[in-house]
Amino acid sequence: MRPSCSPCRGITRRTFLADTGMGFTGLALGAMLFRDGIARGEPASPEPDGQPHFTPKARAVIWLFFCGGVSHVESFDPKPELNKYAGKTIDDTPYKDVLHPDKLKNVIAPNPNHGGRKVLMGLNTPVRRHGQSGLAVGDWWQHVGACADDIAVVRSLWTTDNDHGAQLQWHTGRHVREGPFPTIGAWACYGLGTLNQNLPEYVVLGTPTGDCCGGEWTYGAAYLGPEYAGVRLNIDGKDPLPFVSPAGGKTRDDQEAEFSLLGRLNRLAGIDYPDDPVLRARIKSYELAFRMQTSVPETLQLEKESPATLKLYGIDQPTTRAFGRLCLVARRLVERGVRFVQIFHGGGGGGAWDAHSNIAQNHGNLSAQVDKPVAGLLRDLKQRGMLEDTLVVWGTEFGRSPGAQGTGRDHHPQGFCAWLAGGGIKPGVVHGATDEIGFHAVEHRHYVTDIHATVLHLLGLDPRRLEIPGRKRLEIDYGEPIWDIIA
Amino acid sequence: MSQSCKRWAPVGAVLGTLVVAVSAEARPAHKAALVGYLGSFLDKRLNDCRTCHRPDGTREGIPLQERHNPFGARLAALRAEALRAGSTGELTRLLDAVADEDSDGDGVPNLMEMVTGHFPGDADDVPNAAAVAAARKTLAEFAKSRSAYAWRPFEPVQRPVVPAVHRRGWVRNPIDAFIAAEHESRGLQPRPEAPKAVLLRRVYLDLIGLPPTPEELHAFLNDSSADAYEKVVERLLQSPHYGERWGRHWMDVWRYSDWAGFGPEVRDSQPHIWRWRDWIVESLNQDKGYDRMILEMLAGDELAPEDPDTLRATGYLVRNFKRYSREKWLQDTVEHTAQAFVGITLGCARCHDHFYDPITQHEYYQVRAIFEPHHVRIDRLPGQPDVTKDGLVRAFDAQPEVPTYLLIRGDDRTPDKSAPIPPGVPRTLGGKFPTIAPIALPRWAVTPDKRPFVIEETIAAERNGVEQARQAVTVARRRAAAAAAGTVAGTWAAPAVVRRALDAISLAEQDVTIAEGRLETLLKVLRVESLEDQGRKDSDDWKEAAKEARAAQLRQAVAEARRNLWAAERGLLPASGGKAAAKIADLQKALAQAEAEWARPPATNYKPRSLNTYPATSTGRRLAFARWLADRSHPLTARVAMNHIWLRHFGQAIVPTVFDFGRNGRPPSHPALLDWLAAEFMDQGWSMKAMHRLIVTSSTYRQASTPDPANAAIDRDNRYLWRMPPRRLEAEAVRDALLFVGGELDPKLGGPDIDHNLGLTVPRRSLYFRHAQEKQMEFLKIFDCASVTESYQRKESVLPQQALALANSELTVRLSRGLAQRLSARVGTEPVAFVRAAFEQVLSRPPTDAELAECVAFLEAPQRVASTARTPGEAAARARESLVHVLLNHHDFVTIR
Repeated sequence: MRPSCSPCRGITRRTFLADTGMGFTGLALGAMLFRDGIARGEPASPEPDGQPHFTPKARAVIWLFFCGGVSHVESFDPKPELNKYAGKTIDDTPYKDVLHPDKLKNVIAPNPNHGGRKVLMGLNTPVRRHGQSGLAVGDWWQHVGACADDIAVVRSLWTTDNDHGAQLQWHTGRHVREGPFPTIGAWACYGLGTLNQNLPEYVVLGTPTGDCCGGEWTYGAAYLGPEYAGVRLNIDGKDPLPFVSPAGGKTRDDQEAEFSLLGRLNRLAGIDYPDDPVLRARIKSYELAFRMQTSVPETLQLEKESPATLKLYGIDQPTTRAFGRLCLVARRLVERGVRFVQIFHGGGGGGAWDAHSNIAQNHGNLSAQVDKPVAGLLRDLKQRGMLEDTLVVWGTEFGRSPGAQGTGRDHHPQGFCAWLAGGGIKPGVVHGATDEIGFHAVEHRHYVTDIHATVLHLLGLDPRRLEIPGRKRLEIDYGEPIWDIIA
Repeated sequence: MSQSCKRWAPVGAVLGTLVVAVSAEARPAHKAALVGYLGSFLDKRLNDCRTCHRPDGTREGIPLQERHNPFGARLAALRAEALRAGSTGELTRLLDAVADEDSDGDGVPNLMEMVTGHFPGDADDVPNAAAVAAARKTLAEFAKSRSAYAWRPFEPVQRPVVPAVHRRGWVRNPIDAFIAAEHESRGLQPRPEAPKAVLLRRVYLDLIGLPPTPEELHAFLNDSSADAYEKVVERLLQSPHYGERWGRHWMDVWRYSDWAGFGPEVRDSQPHIWRWRDWIVESLNQDKGYDRMILEMLAGDELAPEDPDTLRATGYLVRNFKRYSREKWLQDTVEHTAQAFVGITLGCARCHDHFYDPITQHEYYQVRAIFEPHHVRIDRLPGQPDVTKDGLVRAFDAQPEVPTYLLIRGDDRTPDKSAPIPPGVPRTLGGKFPTIAPIALPRWAVTPDKRPFVIEETIAAERNGVEQARQAVTVARRRAAAAAAGTVAGTWAAPAVVRRALDAISLAEQDVTIAEGRLETLLKVLRVESLEDQGRKDSDDWKEAAKEARAAQLRQAVAEARRNLWAAERGLLPASGGKAAAKIADLQKALAQAEAEWARPPATNYKPRSLNTYPATSTGRRLAFARWLADRSHPLTARVAMNHIWLRHFGQAIVPTVFDFGRNGRPPSHPALLDWLAAEFMDQGWSMKAMHRLIVTSSTYRQASTPDPANAAIDRDNRYLWRMPPRRLEAEAVRDALLFVGGELDPKLGGPDIDHNLGLTVPRRSLYFRHAQEKQMEFLKIFDCASVTESYQRKESVLPQQALALANSELTVRLSRGLAQRLSARVGTEPVAFVRAAFEQVLSRPPTDAELAECVAFLEAPQRVASTARTPGEAAARARESLVHVLLNHHDFVTIR
């Protein structure tokens, strides 16, 4: 589109003027602004200028999130000791001190039903070592395991919510009770803006977190304003983008003229509402919508990919097709300049991975849907040279208890794992550790916001320089980059 | 001490009668109360069982009386005392009472120990002098926070004193005083009153969900009388569209859903539930009291068992129907009723005692027992015997005796069958739970098929059967005549054709006899029924009538058997191959049997009609529950409702967690105001219109929504309402307003749900379209319409998908075209006049000079927007359509300023 519809990040009073600053309109506006606003000494816009604070190593992020709590002891932090003591209560093992009350205090709302799994359960999947690093991985994740030399596993995460509100916490760093806060994706886009004119900078794929556990807050922007919230593309649905083309045979030029007038009128309405984040988001939504009419259908043309690529993502197989498509679309979005792609798997209710019973079947089936596509994504990014500056993050809200809950495992916030790859991450390393039975994170403990800090750091952002006046941030909100896994 | 320990877990002792096994563990709810009491003043170390218990006090094996430390023991003793005195013994009060005591005797008062991070029940754990000195300031701050207005949502509503404020000229009613008090204490300046056009559009959209017409706009702008605005408010509150607008809001809270299922199978909610929606709209328009609405929705069948208008209200319960899970059905009923009316998350107590609020798992199942007996059914309505096509869907107690069991860990596979749980309510919520009295139901509630209209329609149906049979004879005769005429023409087949035609006449004539017999039998049976319903069973009249009915039934059976056999013998029945002979044999046997029956001596054992008959008694549980809810002594009902109403006027609630007023919810911005509103609401007879009137005529509501940097520096989120929060229209209001300004809206009220796929073409208001799982209008979904499962507060996203829906849908394109033509016809095509008219029509305001200039320039270069037009006239017309289309897409169109 033409300059009249230039990307409208950071439209302030002044940029309203600049954008419409031609002819009499600009003069009239200037007069109004002078009378009404700036002379009163409005504080300078605190907004970032879209430039990183230092040289970035990553330009885009693919954020994979598995809803419900993936077992850490059977994925990327396997614990052979559990096989050794399977069937014994923790008190009968050398590790009985894990249950000392002082060690359990971080968890909010200690649910007696969610904490008392004391009889240890053996591993439900074999474990193998992979790659030169010899990373031990449960077979449920063998395809990702085969990429061991490209990923950095963090085995010492902890969170505080013992329920699935931890899904929100993983994305914002705050307990669900505290309400909505900007997500990591929103911070990234707020700090850096978009890389492209045609697609949203923050795209959400898959079925997000259920309403119980954060709902749309898990990809929301909260006080950063709706323009930084994730935009869902329902690529699984019949109609990924409803109303994608104009009714009534309007040509693109005609529509552009309409949208251009609309943009000018909306900006004029902004005179009385300077810095209105909703208005800004609305203006941006029209500019994006105009381009998305062509860019989204083009991006979703997966049939243009080679059979080898489709196979790599498992799109040729029914089990892996759905998630493979999400992963492939993520790559295509990043190729087209999307800054942050957030893929949910198993969203809704507490989450599909919430294996309170029959974990062998639950995790067996679910990992079969996603393991190959995730590995395919890593391989594809690598073979295209995209892994250099695309950061991939694999995460879940908490781990699962070393102790059995019948045939399942319970929630486990005291220790769990995630991994990162590409975009400036040191490949083939393991950082931090849980104790021998995977109960507590004991070595290099990291709260979830350390992952956020790592992501922002690799994007070239210092979260402390994204401060917004009047918004109190806590020390724990910033986190600390996990330096050991940064190349 | 043992006694007081039991009392220490008071919610385990239910209604003072049934003492369940007392858990000796420190209860998380008590810890939460401690956190609630001290808030940010509580040292992290004190957020621990050891504050009240011995370090080993929560372990099993320690005798009860030894589990508390001196601090805990003191609290327990005070609590026991309070309970004996009849108070609830709320922990907050107790903590206040012991703040200055020194329970452990270490020389430092309890409160001081707690804010310095030391255990008040452990004499060895004591702050040093420096820490005590340093904490004096903290203690003063804590005292200040304790003296602020006490938000006690679980205690009955007391009308607070309206604060005196400096800005008296700004205060139009008490709402403003409460708002101004917060403004003044924070240094906020209220924004000036909104411009008249802005205010008018705001109050129109807010109260009726439609914008003002240009005529209404001009009338208001030209009305300089002092009460011009109040007159508008009054008119809008009397508009039937008020009920549609606010009905949709309450449909969110009460979880309206049309039926969903697989093909024709109903799995979720029920057909015909739109009658409940109409009840909502009508009740609001009548300004029925909210207390009465609660009674009717939860227990309309017990309150007015024979009144179809009231019975509609129980659609509230019907909506939770789940074909494949009675468990989920009851869960939804219990948990959403608690969230919608009481503002508590009772669902947390399904598997375990509530972590935050003092509600036990046992109490969850007491509430479940209220609803356990109920079920849904569809009663006939006049004019439609087939209840799958239409009917009155309603709740009733189908299983009055069914027990409720506590499900261990909430798992329906593990009910605790040792003791059924009696119906009741959580004790901590207070209020007056009335004695449950079973309700004897009148006969038409028990046997709705005996209602006069059903009987009349049943008779009419039989009469109609006779009439149709007679017509069939005429038709058969005509065919026979035609067949006979055919024989004159002469064909070999002729005799057979004629014989078949004559047989058809005979069969049709027999069918007339049968139909007449059915009618006669019905009338005779009805006569017996009538005697029985008069209590005259076994009277002589009854014996006579019953014998006659039986005789008619037997005669009818013989007639039907003869007819069937005759037809089979004549080959008139669809016979399948070699089985014809067997079939005839069967029919012969049937006839013989019928004749043998007939030959017996007369008897009274007639066969009664098969009728839907329901229990004659309703448990009265739901009515008692509803009366408890709708009583002024209930602490939460009015508070929760007013919070919902406030949310929908201002776009932000006073208690942000509208469904959770408990400890896990977020605190209110204006606790005193909410209490005042709740008190006023009840004093106004629970009249919603009175409260709307009060709110929308306040200065608070009339403020401009424009920002202000000085205020924003103090209160960035406008929590204290220094301006009117601008907000986006809800999905339904976007569509309704589009149709309205486009001149297409059909204002018809009520009626059956309309196919959701017709949303872009059928111009009815959005609330009338089908809305259920997988049956929702795409256009509405894009604008965050109500989630079918719960929608206590709408989302307000801004997405490119919304831009595409407004820009590209056939709806907006069609409306723009029609509206541009109408405006051109009205004001002509001269650009300035057209632009002014278009702004007033679509945005309900005149354009600014800058807007006018932009739009005129646009119309004066029509080729830019109508590149394919063949003539200048066509281009100009299309430019006008485009201009209207742009205004329909304007941010101001979807925004309430």
